[in-house]
Amino acid sequence: MNLIERRDFLRGTATGAFAFTIGGVEVLLSPREARAQNVPFRLLKADEAQTIEALGETLVPGAGAAGVAHFVDQQLSVPPEEALLEARILNVRPPYANFYRAAVRVIDNASQTINGGRKFAQLNPSEQHDFVDAMRQNKIQGWRGPGGPFVYLVLRSDAVDVVYGTMEGYEALGIPYMPHIAPEKRW
Amino acid sequence: MATNEKVDVVVVGAGASGSVYAAVLAKQGKRVVVLEQGPDWQLSDLISSDIWGRRVKPAGGPFLLEGKHPVSYGYQAGWGVGGAALHYFANFPRLLPNDFKIKSEHNRAHDWPIAYEDVAPYYDKVARDVGVSGDAKAEEIWRPAGQPYPMPPMKTFPSGQVWLKGFEAVGIRMVPAAVGMNSTEYKGRAACIYDGWCHVGCPIGALANPLVTYLADARKSGAEVRPLSTVTRVLTNTEGTRVTGVEYYDQKKERQVQPAGVVVLAAWAAQNPRILLNSPTDKHPEGLANSSGLVGKYMMTHFASGTLAIFDEDVENHMGTTGAQYMSYDRYGKTSHKDGFGSSFIVAGFALKTNDLGGIANARVDLFGADLHDFMIRAKRGLTRIGTFGEELPNIENRIELVSDKDEFGMPLAKIIHSYDKDAEAVWNANFEEGLKIAKAAGANEVWSARGNMPTIHLMGGTIMGTEASNSVVNSYGQTHEIPNLYVAGPGIFATSGASNPTYTIFALSLRGAEQLAENWATLAG
Repeated sequence: MNLIERRDFLRGTATGAFAFTIGGVEVLLSPREARAQNVPFRLLKADEAQTIEALGETLVPGAGAAGVAHFVDQQLSVPPEEALLEARILNVRPPYANFYRAAVRVIDNASQTINGGRKFAQLNPSEQHDFVDAMRQNKIQGWRGPGGPFVYLVLRSDAVDVVYGTMEGYEALGIPYMPHIAPEKRW
Repeated sequence: MATNEKVDVVVVGAGASGSVYAAVLAKQGKRVVVLEQGPDWQLSDLISSDIWGRRVKPAGGPFLLEGKHPVSYGYQAGWGVGGAALHYFANFPRLLPNDFKIKSEHNRAHDWPIAYEDVAPYYDKVARDVGVSGDAKAEEIWRPAGQPYPMPPMKTFPSGQVWLKGFEAVGIRMVPAAVGMNSTEYKGRAACIYDGWCHVGCPIGALANPLVTYLADARKSGAEVRPLSTVTRVLTNTEGTRVTGVEYYDQKKERQVQPAGVVVLAAWAAQNPRILLNSPTDKHPEGLANSSGLVGKYMMTHFASGTLAIFDEDVENHMGTTGAQYMSYDRYGKTSHKDGFGSSFIVAGFALKTNDLGGIANARVDLFGADLHDFMIRAKRGLTRIGTFGEELPNIENRIELVSDKDEFGMPLAKIIHSYDKDAEAVWNANFEEGLKIAKAAGANEVWSARGNMPTIHLMGGTIMGTEASNSVVNSYGQTHEIPNLYVAGPGIFATSGASNPTYTIFALSLRGAEQLAENWATLAG
């Protein structure tokens, strides 16, 4: 799809949902739907997606089911000028996949060092909470990669987006959404 | 490489300042081409969502960030027609007379080459052009009288009103905020409906973004806007005495030359120096308009001290605008705080959304998991905030430099090096302390400061104005000292930063510069 066609596609048909690929065909789904339908990841490896989902769930309850890993994966697969990740406004240098891969790597390496070889997704919820609390305060010894507080900020924003930033999220909180132009599929 | 037919003016950037130049000159019958790096957004693209709103935030070659307080430009700059003014909050405070003569009055920084009185008529003109709501008379406790705003103040909501008792307790007078929004229908544009989505772009035209004001005027008068066109160099004649046009890459990423009689760089405070520094010739070995070495120097930002509070009552924080309901210049004197030099500008009452940098979830960025959810429940009805912007004095060490990394067009990337000085840190801290006093006096239930890394808001400087080439890059109209048919527009030409939101001043200075260019066209154009 060339640039102009892609922009028309985004503008004309995908104001709310995102383009996911199923069986070689692009379909428009919310990240929650993509996760529920087990849509294959475009860029993330399975273990990377697992870490992002587990981290998202620790940061914001409900982020896993809301499709945080599919959201991040889909956004990493589009050109940076089309990406909707908070990383964009937090001045992460594109391509954003480099940052996410480095973040997952440093989290899992640190988790394995601290927790007897177990990656972050393999920790129990209490261990995950303690790990994140230490990460956000930059208190994990031997951390080698993007700064822990910054990783916390970026991934927390992704999780907040998919849980609280959607029309469903507003509704669940009881906050009127009041859109001028509503995102399609209540996203 | 294709060379296009020569036009009268090429304007680089379709944001706040470029749109003004394009409108004024197109109305004068000049053939105007506007080259915009990003897409050609329509109002219908402005989806009410913090997630989708990121589409209008910066893309393209990234700026590398260095210094003790790196410039966080991603939230504030723009991408596409309208520029940052497509998603700005449309707060329209002015600079005050004391901003223009800091050197004369305090022997600090430098004076502007003009006074408040030179800009004031253009504030009034802009207000009529784009529509401003506010109470000009009330503002005159701090500034010389001018014309009334064309619309009455905006509605206020409890999220702003609850603070008034606290401000009164510490002796700060608040007046209705001046905003570039419609409190009533204006020039065929709708009145605001107070749903708080200003910061992702207002699609109903109630907020004065360039798409419904100057850029619309420019297009109506025949200006051509070419989106997805990235300017890499300004071109000159062999003698180096005149600019002859620009080199750019079009949406097919093909190299083009656009000859022009006048070039106006309006591509943002960081991008203008990048283009000038990337345009050296044998006559201008350090880049255009840079014999003084000041291109890219004196970058400035504002810092903000935010105070958050949860009140027992429902403050209706989902209602209103992203801009402020109330404002005050009562701490605008340069020596208002004893430990630090510089002005402070106070605002109160904003609509809140759930996510993104200014959202409810980020009001307590330390919370996560169940604690965050508990906070969201607690905050959804009672959370509100005030903010105080502070002035950063110009420092030559805060600068932009080209680096060896290149973008997709082979243009060197640039780095922005920025650190605050002790004055700024002291004013920042003093404003936090005062914010807490205000919140407690207002009767809030929970009160805290939004501390973290010292924020960098509203990038300014880099091509500052002054009296001559030895102390500045441009004159008070934005015309470069060295090349008469090369102009620079936008916050980059501010000599000092003041403490108030800059866009109203950007519009006013651009209008002043564009009118001067039009009046002197016969002698200036190449």
